[in-house]
Amino acid sequence: MWMKNEDELVSEVLEGNQSSFELLLRPYRQGLLNMAYRMTGNREEAKEICQEALIKIYKYLYRFEKGKSFKSWIYKITMNSAYDSLRKRKKSEDIIESQKRQAFEGGADPEKQFLNREISTKIESCLQNLSPKEKAVFLLRDGDGFSVEETSKILKCSSLSVRTHLSRARKKIRAQFEQSNLGFRKEVKSEL
Amino acid sequence: MVGKDLSPSKISSITAHLEKCPECQQEYDSYSLALEKTKEWIEEDKLDWVEREWQQAVQEAVKDKESVISPLAPWPFKKAWAFALMGVLAVALTLLLVIKPFFLGEGTAPDSELLSRTRAQLLGSTFQESQQEVIKMTLVLPETGQKIVWFFDKNFELEVKE
Repeated sequence: MWMKNEDELVSEVLEGNQSSFELLLRPYRQGLLNMAYRMTGNREEAKEICQEALIKIYKYLYRFEKGKSFKSWIYKITMNSAYDSLRKRKKSEDIIESQKRQAFEGGADPEKQFLNREISTKIESCLQNLSPKEKAVFLLRDGDGFSVEETSKILKCSSLSVRTHLSRARKKIRAQFEQSNLGFRKEVKSEL
Repeated sequence: MVGKDLSPSKISSITAHLEKCPECQQEYDSYSLALEKTKEWIEEDKLDWVEREWQQAVQEAVKDKESVISPLAPWPFKKAWAFALMGVLAVALTLLLVIKPFFLGEGTAPDSELLSRTRAQLLGSTFQESQQEVIKMTLVLPETGQKIVWFFDKNFELEVKE
């Protein structure tokens, strides 16, 4: 039923109904933004990536094959935009500094800001050693719940490659967890 | 196992092993906790669009009306056009292959004739120069049955032979 609605919305957009485009993308807007955010670690860059992805989705919507997963298709476009952005990005100190500043702008409440900052630091700490591919595989599979096959289609690679990168990513995350002493040992002990 | 990617049979066999092996169980627990915590944090630290920014982003995307190609161009139609074009090309190629011999038959005949003539001339001249030094002509008189034979050299000058 949902697929049918999406296909109808795609048809409406292709017929020139621009308001249907917003309805089509609304369910995925948060997922796309967060995917871009996790890939880059920067809010503003994530929004730019999503903006670029939205333009591409609208421009190439006629290429979408009805009946296939619209979600996978738009994630693929967003992921490509994120890769492009990572390629272009200069790894200068300025960007890292602005990234740190922007990443912690949680809201008006100072306590919430502090919590957000702490969590963001933990996530960054866990994901920092992952290559872009490993990060993408981990976020798609473990973060957004795509299957291995869907992930392989989104990233245009084999299922074997997805499994390999996923395994590597998980190992690195665990190692980073132990290294950072993120309450890991205590929790394991208390659980055991 | 940790990522819940395995088949049910493999999961049950590994679970059976974990029950007996405390080291593997500990390894499994540490993996599970690391991944669960990371997922949890990712969930907690989710961004969302400010409604106004989202609307702006969408407006920016659909700003260019030309971006969406006309309804004639959706992929299935494009596919149909591609197949139609391939069909036309296949028919054209077949026709060309069928008709080609006729055209070539007319077109190449003079060439082949010329070629054979040239070859004959070349062979002839070579033959004349190299082998046909003497030309013999024989006249047979029907009344008497007498034969008269003339021999000529290559310059057509009469030679007298015994």
